[in-house]
Amino acid sequence: MNEVFASPFFGITLSIFAYEIGVLIARKTKLAIANPLLIAIIICIAVIELAHIPLESYNAGGDLIAVFLGPATAVIAISIYNQLSRLKKYFIPILMGTLVGSIASVGSAYFLCKLFGLDDILTKSMVVKSVSTPFALAISKNIGGIPAVSVAAVVITGILGAVCAPMLIKIFRVKNPIAAGVAIGTCSHAVGTSKAIMIGEVEGAMSGIALGLAGLLTVAITLVLKF
Amino acid sequence: MMLQIGVVFGICLVGQTIAIFLPIAVPGSVISMVLLFLLLFFKVLKVDHIRKKADFLLQNMAFFFIPAGVGILANLAAIKGYILPLLAVVVLTTFITFGATAFTVQGVIAVQERVGARKGTRKDNRHE
Repeated sequence: MNEVFASPFFGITLSIFAYEIGVLIARKTKLAIANPLLIAIIICIAVIELAHIPLESYNAGGDLIAVFLGPATAVIAISIYNQLSRLKKYFIPILMGTLVGSIASVGSAYFLCKLFGLDDILTKSMVVKSVSTPFALAISKNIGGIPAVSVAAVVITGILGAVCAPMLIKIFRVKNPIAAGVAIGTCSHAVGTSKAIMIGEVEGAMSGIALGLAGLLTVAITLVLKF
Repeated sequence: MMLQIGVVFGICLVGQTIAIFLPIAVPGSVISMVLLFLLLFFKVLKVDHIRKKADFLLQNMAFFFIPAGVGILANLAAIKGYILPLLAVVVLTTFITFGATAFTVQGVIAVQERVGARKGTRKDNRHE
């Protein structure tokens, strides 16, 4: 039986059906919390935990799915290119937004970790939580964090951003789609961007720009602050 | 469609190769995004050349993150015992970061437009 689960088709099939169930529930309930990605992850984890399937078996298929993240991120360039006139006109506000947002992310993570009495190593692992995994991993290793903690924080932040994005736009009364997109990309990297794309092309493009800028700026901020 | 897939994957291959040689860690996917943008900007590629493939990837982007989310299982041991404070930090910083970013963008746009409008009226005055 284990051989069946070790086949790449297992991880792929489970993921696709879990996602379709997520889409269905999202469509029926129309609740923000009923996010297809969140539901799919919960279903997949429940299945492999309950059936005692090793994570490596799931990953035989999971890794194949993850390969598509590269191309999916790359083609955001088309949305950005379609928004070229907005990008030119509002480049300064976009850059300032990602800069202030990245400082706010690193700074608030640092002070909140201290406030909750987390030690130095955990704090260092947490300050990179708003940037996509490759950025976060590199910075975390560089400043002496625990990569596994950083990855967990990055993934949870991304999912949270994707689930909460529409709610955050309402709470902060963000009327401008450029501001909304930049904010989503800065606070929740590529996972948040996948939601921004569904909200609108302007939001998706701006979130895509922001995820790249925020990553680079966070590298710079952690170097300057000498964690 | 097959050619479109080839073009996008080829760009990703180049992006990842560049990522290996860069002195700072920039994700290959972000470099690929910049590369594709430049190819479109300099009219080497047309949007139509990759439109179908791109739409498929963009509309299903969340799906491709499922393995990353499930992969959290492998990191659970590392955050065991700190899950609640770490979750609190994640939730609060996400709100703070979103708010700080959105307000900054809107604020700077407002300033930019006010300055732009003032310049506009000054120009108008000169014309009169």
